[in-house]
Amino acid sequence: MKRLLTRIAGAAAILMLSGHLASAEGKLALYNWGEYINPEIIDDFSKEFGVDVTLDTYSTNEEMLARIQAGASGYDLVWPSVHMHDIMQQLGLLQPAHPNQLPGWDAIDKAALRSHEDPNGDFCLPYAWGSVGILYNKTHIPELKSWKQFFEYAKDNPGKVTMLDDLRETLGVGLIMTGASVNSRDPDEIAKAEAFIMEQKPNIGAFRYDVIPLVTAGDTAASHYYVGGVLNTLQNPELLGFVIPEEGATMYQEDVCLLANAPNPHNAKLFMQFLLRPEVAAKNSARLTNGVVNTEAVALLPEELKSNPSINPPQDVRAKLQIFEDMGKDLRLYTRAWDRIKTN
Amino acid sequence: MFRGFRPGKLWSALFNSYGFLFLAFLYMPLALIVVYSFNANPINMAVWTGFTLDWYATIFGGAGVEGTFDVAFTESPERIFEVVKNSFLVATTAASISTLIGTATAVALARYRFAGKRFYQALLLLPMLVPDIVLGIALLIFFVGAGFHLSLLTIVIGHVTFLSSYVFVVVSSRLAGMDTTLEQASADLGAGALTTFRRVTLPLIMPGVLGGFLLAFIISLDDVVITYFIAGVGSQTLPLLILAMMRRGLRPQITALAVVIILFSFAVATVGMLLRNRKS
Amino acid sequence: MIAGDTVRSRRRRALLLLLAPITLMLGVFFLIPLGIMVVYSFLEPGLYGGVEWNWYPYNYGRILGWPLNDYEEFDPIYLSIFLGSLKVACLTVLFSLLICYPAAFWVSRMSERRKTFVLFLIMLPFFANLLVRIYAWLLLLRPTGFINTLLQSAGLIAQPLDMLFSNFAVIVGMVYIFTPFMFLPIYANVEKLDYSLIRASQDLGATPLQTFLRVILPLTAPGIAGGSVIVFIPALGNFIVPAFLGGSKVQMTGNLIERSFLQSRDWPFGAALALLIMASVVLVLMIQFTRTARAQARGAV
Repeated sequence: MKRLLTRIAGAAAILMLSGHLASAEGKLALYNWGEYINPEIIDDFSKEFGVDVTLDTYSTNEEMLARIQAGASGYDLVWPSVHMHDIMQQLGLLQPAHPNQLPGWDAIDKAALRSHEDPNGDFCLPYAWGSVGILYNKTHIPELKSWKQFFEYAKDNPGKVTMLDDLRETLGVGLIMTGASVNSRDPDEIAKAEAFIMEQKPNIGAFRYDVIPLVTAGDTAASHYYVGGVLNTLQNPELLGFVIPEEGATMYQEDVCLLANAPNPHNAKLFMQFLLRPEVAAKNSARLTNGVVNTEAVALLPEELKSNPSINPPQDVRAKLQIFEDMGKDLRLYTRAWDRIKTN
Repeated sequence: MFRGFRPGKLWSALFNSYGFLFLAFLYMPLALIVVYSFNANPINMAVWTGFTLDWYATIFGGAGVEGTFDVAFTESPERIFEVVKNSFLVATTAASISTLIGTATAVALARYRFAGKRFYQALLLLPMLVPDIVLGIALLIFFVGAGFHLSLLTIVIGHVTFLSSYVFVVVSSRLAGMDTTLEQASADLGAGALTTFRRVTLPLIMPGVLGGFLLAFIISLDDVVITYFIAGVGSQTLPLLILAMMRRGLRPQITALAVVIILFSFAVATVGMLLRNRKS
Repeated sequence: MIAGDTVRSRRRRALLLLLAPITLMLGVFFLIPLGIMVVYSFLEPGLYGGVEWNWYPYNYGRILGWPLNDYEEFDPIYLSIFLGSLKVACLTVLFSLLICYPAAFWVSRMSERRKTFVLFLIMLPFFANLLVRIYAWLLLLRPTGFINTLLQSAGLIAQPLDMLFSNFAVIVGMVYIFTPFMFLPIYANVEKLDYSLIRASQDLGATPLQTFLRVILPLTAPGIAGGSVIVFIPALGNFIVPAFLGGSKVQMTGNLIERSFLQSRDWPFGAALALLIMASVVLVLMIQFTRTARAQARGAV
């Protein structure tokens, strides 16, 4: 029996060793949202530059920030949303990567330089943007156009719709429907938005992120979801639809940023340069079905994406999209409202 | 003389049928996963459309399943192998360390008399009674404050804090049921404490030590909550990967992975059971 | 004399050596972290996570009634979330008890060999990963899941039942997960029941109900209490089951704690909530402890 123990310990040691041996010389550690980069791009980069790339994922900006603050050194690049990019830069967690001096920078849509802290792109490279709309199942709802229709359907079919389990996004819908800015700091406006969502809550089946299989299988008819869901609508156009509601919607944009304590800054910049190639940006977007920030990449997109109104929306729709700003201490107004919604 | 509860025939039948319902309650959900994992229907697992091994292929790196719905974001076999490797590394290390610590503590508390013994007994129960989430965030705050890098090492440390208690309980119960005359005889014959421990005590409590190790191993392998808070860079374990996959939605690949996990856990539990039976 | 001294000091050294690792381990990685958490719960939250080192009793105030009025009137919402968690935890205890109690009698009547095997069967699912077991219930309860599909094809229901994402689903999931915890203490108790007392009661003409209430139930009370405590503790702080089976519409204190740390960047508030859970656990343990102590004292008399 003692031998069994020794053998197990030996096996563990071998596993540990093999882990070290497998690592190549050039390394790059990415910390990105789940499902937010085309895995083929990572493979292509690895092969071309002989760099061993690792990818870890997070599901909220706050989770990423918490883990970086918790001393998660070892990562090179992160993908914060614009408001989180501002926060991280202020906290001194980032270092300038000067993407604006890299070849290919001219193709970056200057409207995508949304960060207040980094107006010239000295620190981070704009990555992709998208809207948050509604993914729906066409066997239940043939065509969905607006939030109004979404909530009316929910009233007639309680439990068959879901909204995101995200306080800013879901309260944001409340703010849009009551005519306020999604970045409101006015307690009365937030109270109105809360009341609006509260009124809908009995008809909302759940607050969830993991809705694609539920909508596809018809467990739910419509779900508040990210534009990334368009990938599924393209694979299944008769069954699924995605819409940016008429009343307006929120949008997001992520930037690729170099961490202050990145162990492999050189490879990180190589990766940024790689992402700047129009064909790489297009290949990535084709998988993510997000909006591209690279003007030259638009032409290289597959036709079905180029013409998709959710991915490449016309100007009047773009005008109705609002982006989140950091709320600082006022975030508590939202937290409190959200806790009340979830509890009552 | 007969012992035991001897109700009438009707009651007997009632109890037996209840017992089968009880076992069905325990096993039906697991059996369902096994069946679903072979269902070819990629969208709705409850509707049978044919037999397939594709979902297993996505785990073990056989042919991909191009063309099925949302194939884009199934986890790659390499990724799964990596987190499985992490899990085993953590579980083996944490279980080995806690077996050493837990056994030493059990021997101390069973074979020595000292002030503060009751304090230790109470202290050792605490890590098993503190809710996981409390221990998880306490460790997170501590590790961050003390400047630890969250990594596989912090996971191992976190696991050892509560696994030692489990090993302690298992080994203690073995020690309590043990005859001390052999140890005394060995001491009387002039053997030193260490010799007595190695030659007499250890062989006798070995089934308990091994049982404790296996219990610690499987708890560590399965732990979600504490690991969730104290995992760091590149230190994802299998349960964390499954958590992330489940957050993205119910997909057949998870079902197949779940079956593999069920089979493995059951195998370890069976080995533990056989070991226990052999001792008696 | 001298030899005796060296033996004793050697034993002392051995004892120190044996106790050193656990003392170090639990001291540094258990007691100190819990202590730091207590300190944090009285500090001001940092704007982007972490803490400011200022005295700040409002973390508890937000929960119990003295909030910092810059942001809010007091609103007993966090208290009601906590009470809701207590309710879910108590119902979980109740239903696991109802399910496990008869099963314990069923197993206790078996022959030794069968008993060992059935006990093994009952423990076995516990070894499958927690997430896997929750996942199974997701598949069972969802609108297009096994139960609904079965009922619909049998023609018993027209529309799928809304079972998932409710308190019901959360309680079912927790009962399933904690069944072995409840079963084992009750079984250990039932196994040792003195049946002569039951027969005596029957011989004296008591009805089965009377026998159950006056004899069996009091005799198995320690097992019931033990199992209840062991189920109650993890049920109260659970956040994984409500997150998946409750669809985030059911919010328990555990979910609030998780969110305080990983989303709303309010560590001290999360620490305060965690300590509130800890306090309830300690309270329950103390009640259980004094109960057992009193029972033992009575037994000694």
